[in-house]
Amino acid sequence: MNSWLRVAAAVAGKDIVIEVRTKTAILSAVVFAALVLIIFNFARDASLVSTSVLAPSVLWITFAFAGMITLNRGFNLEKENAALEGLLLAPVPRSAIYVGKLISNLAFVGMVEAVALPLFVLFFNVPVWSILPGLLGLIVLATIGFVAVGTVFSAMTVRTRFSELMLPMLLLPFMVPPLIGAVQTTTRLFAGRPLSEMIGWLRIIALYDVVFITLCVLIFPAVVDE
Amino acid sequence: MPENTSYMIAAYVVAAVVYLVYGGSLLARGFRALRKDR
Amino acid sequence: MKPTISSSRGIIKWGVGLTIIGLAALAVIYVLALAYTPFEVRQGAAQKIFYVHVPAAWSAMMAFSLVGLVSILYLWLRDERLDAFAAASAEVGLVFSVIMLTTGPIWGKPIWGTWWTWDARLTLTLILFLLFLGYMTLRSAIHDPAERARFSAVVGIMGMVLVPFIHVSVYLFRTLHPKPIVLKASAPSLPPEMLRTLLLGFLAASVLYLGFVVLRYGLARHAMAELDEEN
Repeated sequence: MNSWLRVAAAVAGKDIVIEVRTKTAILSAVVFAALVLIIFNFARDASLVSTSVLAPSVLWITFAFAGMITLNRGFNLEKENAALEGLLLAPVPRSAIYVGKLISNLAFVGMVEAVALPLFVLFFNVPVWSILPGLLGLIVLATIGFVAVGTVFSAMTVRTRFSELMLPMLLLPFMVPPLIGAVQTTTRLFAGRPLSEMIGWLRIIALYDVVFITLCVLIFPAVVDE
Repeated sequence: MPENTSYMIAAYVVAAVVYLVYGGSLLARGFRALRKDR
Repeated sequence: MKPTISSSRGIIKWGVGLTIIGLAALAVIYVLALAYTPFEVRQGAAQKIFYVHVPAAWSAMMAFSLVGLVSILYLWLRDERLDAFAAASAEVGLVFSVIMLTTGPIWGKPIWGTWWTWDARLTLTLILFLLFLGYMTLRSAIHDPAERARFSAVVGIMGMVLVPFIHVSVYLFRTLHPKPIVLKASAPSLPPEMLRTLLLGFLAASVLYLGFVVLRYGLARHAMAELDEEN
């Protein structure tokens, strides 16, 4: 158990260190998120559709696409690939490698979301202070879902020629359940609805997370091993 | 005949075309493979 | 076990036979649906699209489930023939979902007044199509056969696990929104001619699926066997 944790921590740590030094994934994703939010601001007619109607969707579209950009870069570094192959030569538990990658990807996407969320609040003028804990909890829950699946898919698509296209193509159907749940919950959070109206969706997202993390842990060896 | 007949015809034609084009191409390849001498 | 040319020829013959029977059955369904079944009072002629659309959906779902199940078998047994079968089922499934996705909106336009609506069934249709498309596109992007087989299997299995979640979330999502106007797509109890034609439609679609898959698989095996004999 101890060595498993050490492997996972080592994989996550190495990824995070590389990213902090090179900043490739996070920087492009943050810029993208800011652009998306700005464009949404201009693309709507505030007199026709109120902000509160659009805001939840805008938030999650931004998170979803910025998340995909982040995931795509996460596996893309040359050093990254060689290091992974070296790691795989040793009898290291593959589940630990997956969880390590999952943690680092969550950290990256989380950092992007941490920048995008305040920008969103700024542009769309949504009062989030009162619901912040709930909103943050939801963001963590939903993000875990699509990053878990995205980690497996980006490991596969990084080797293909059109990886920037392949990853979204494969991942999009898998983002639908957490996205629907997230937008529905966010809408209710912004409207100040009671928890009872959101608990159903939250349960679906949580179930999705549990099922897919388990599945991804079991299936990851098929991606990295012969 | 009811007035949305054109939709019905369109759907039946589209489906038939897809089935025949795909099925036809498979059958053609199948016959070609069978005709090849070992 | 390596696929041989002779065994592949046998499979191709079966596939050809089943496909021809399936296409003939389809022709019978067309005649029955267009001439024999009564018109549905509220929906008129467009309702008859049902006899083509619903069996195609059934075959697409069957194709999809088989891709998932055979993918599990592949990861367990690592037999390249299982991968060839999964790929065949995905390709055939793609064809059936194209039929679903085209006949669905053509049916929807006169009945619901709109080509598309994000209701549970249509959305699932679209997701299924995207999953098949993603599977086939991924396969075309990977050149090493073993890697391609493994990765396809991963996508196949994950897709299979995804479908129940799509069902639940989209269904819940739609019950909160107003349903498309006026008419429902299926009557609560079908008159016997309609039921009979529909059931025969399922049979025809199943035979056609089987024919297509066996033939497609046979062709893939034949290609593998030819490649082997050249080496």
